[in-house]
Amino acid sequence: MGILEIDKLYKKFGSHEVIRGLDMDIPEHSIFGFVGQNGAGKTTTMKMVLGLLKPDSGTIKVCGERVTYGETRTNHYLGYLPDVPEFYDYMTPMEYLRLCGEITGLPKEKIRKKSEELLSLVGLENHKRKITGFSRGMKQRLGIAQALLNEPRLLICDEPTSALDPIGRKEILDILSAIKGKTTVIFSTHILSDVERICDHVAILNRGQLTLSGSLAEIKMQYRHNGYIIEFAGEKEASEFAGIEALKRPAVEVSRDRAVVTVMISDRNVGGQFLISLLSEKRMVPMKFEIMEPTLESLFTEAVK
Amino acid sequence: MKNYFTFLKKELLESVRTYKMFILLTVFLLLGIMNPLIAKLTPEIVEMAMPAGMDITVAAPTAMDSWLQFYKNVGQIGVFVIVLVLSGMLSAELSKGTLINLLTKGLSRSAVIFAKYTYMILMWTAGYALSYLVTWGYTVFLFPKDNASNVLLSAFFLWVFGVFLLAVLMLGAVLSGNSYGGLLITGGVFVICMLLNMFPAVHKFNPLTLGSDNVALIQNTVKPGAFFPAVGVAGVIVVLAIAGSVMLFRKKQL
Repeated sequence: MGILEIDKLYKKFGSHEVIRGLDMDIPEHSIFGFVGQNGAGKTTTMKMVLGLLKPDSGTIKVCGERVTYGETRTNHYLGYLPDVPEFYDYMTPMEYLRLCGEITGLPKEKIRKKSEELLSLVGLENHKRKITGFSRGMKQRLGIAQALLNEPRLLICDEPTSALDPIGRKEILDILSAIKGKTTVIFSTHILSDVERICDHVAILNRGQLTLSGSLAEIKMQYRHNGYIIEFAGEKEASEFAGIEALKRPAVEVSRDRAVVTVMISDRNVGGQFLISLLSEKRMVPMKFEIMEPTLESLFTEAVK
Repeated sequence: MKNYFTFLKKELLESVRTYKMFILLTVFLLLGIMNPLIAKLTPEIVEMAMPAGMDITVAAPTAMDSWLQFYKNVGQIGVFVIVLVLSGMLSAELSKGTLINLLTKGLSRSAVIFAKYTYMILMWTAGYALSYLVTWGYTVFLFPKDNASNVLLSAFFLWVFGVFLLAVLMLGAVLSGNSYGGLLITGGVFVICMLLNMFPAVHKFNPLTLGSDNVALIQNTVKPGAFFPAVGVAGVIVVLAIAGSVMLFRKKQL
């Protein structure tokens, strides 16, 4: 049983169907990358999970409990980081966390301890001034702190890195990886390198449905092309290898770019072993021998076609 | 219930730190000081403005003139200012998204409405009481010999009118989701009340009576009992408006 289960979810705004039969199952203790183009329905889905929007049909279960629109019971399991978190500017971070803690119903002493702990986790422990002067990145970090205050079993982050500079992004990603063991994280984004960096599961949302979903390793395995990249020390050696007679057959496609030779083999029965034995036959030692991995970008482009 | 107090505390903190409370109290304080002074000084102003040689006798001002000013100023400017200042309190949180964060933490939506309405009433009561006390103090000081009847009761009725209008504002804000809509609906209700006053039969039940006949009550030309139906109607509308706000807000897609 997953920590979040979505079953046949539908939602439309006016005549515009945003979510069309979405099924999703998120295993516990994963960092789940929820990828889709702008306007694919990522935020809408998340808001329905939080009970902020009413689904037209379908069920959503958080930790096995059904989410009811307008009620907030299941929200006790959740932490939410909105895409652009907004706080009460006239409060200090500590005061804001206290307010959140009191609303969640945590005891006073625990709020204080937890707030200090979280502010130091997100690097805001020395900011005693009001939130007014905070940068986007600082607000995003405070957003994570407030989302983690109630020790949620599931943390939902809506494009946490989209509006940040490279350093701010790195900080957020580092924090998210740091909490991986304790909390399941869903993380919506359209920045694929972020997904590749920290997520272990990924789902691609396109036109209101998941077109691809599973663990990152599995998906990559499934979409792996039988391709190899061999890098040589010099161009001469590379062209020599590219010219080998044994490679000139219909199932093999060889291309060379300076000292790098790329070999694509469409025959599944022929593997890298074949290339390695060729290399040893010719007494050649490459600088690098690499199995070609499908990039998330290529998977994504394929999935949203 | 705990949510309610937490959120009310937050509203009060917000009011202090964003200077809203300061502005409101200052306006009401000024209104309070103005009333008796204008009453006292009117004859002298009139005299100064008159060309030499012309002679108009202005009746000596009394406590009644001071109270007349109070109901004119607080009943109009004061009510207008408080509605204007408080009109954005729900819509600002919705459009900025500050409320969403707390709702996802389990803050109940009815607690939001109740706390916000309580805060509105607190602000109105504080400003109103300030203005009233200052007017009362000065009036007693400047016109010690005059006595007026039902001063406190009369003030209570205008207060009820304010509470009524704020409930309408709350409902308007929930209905429209933006501050202009709330203002528009409140203004609309005010105008409807004024139009209804054209029918003598309705007058007794019209909440507007609570803010328009106060001076007559002080002058003892109207008995307190004449206000009770309007108080009843206002009370019922307040309960309905707040219950409606809670129900609508719970169904609102955010």
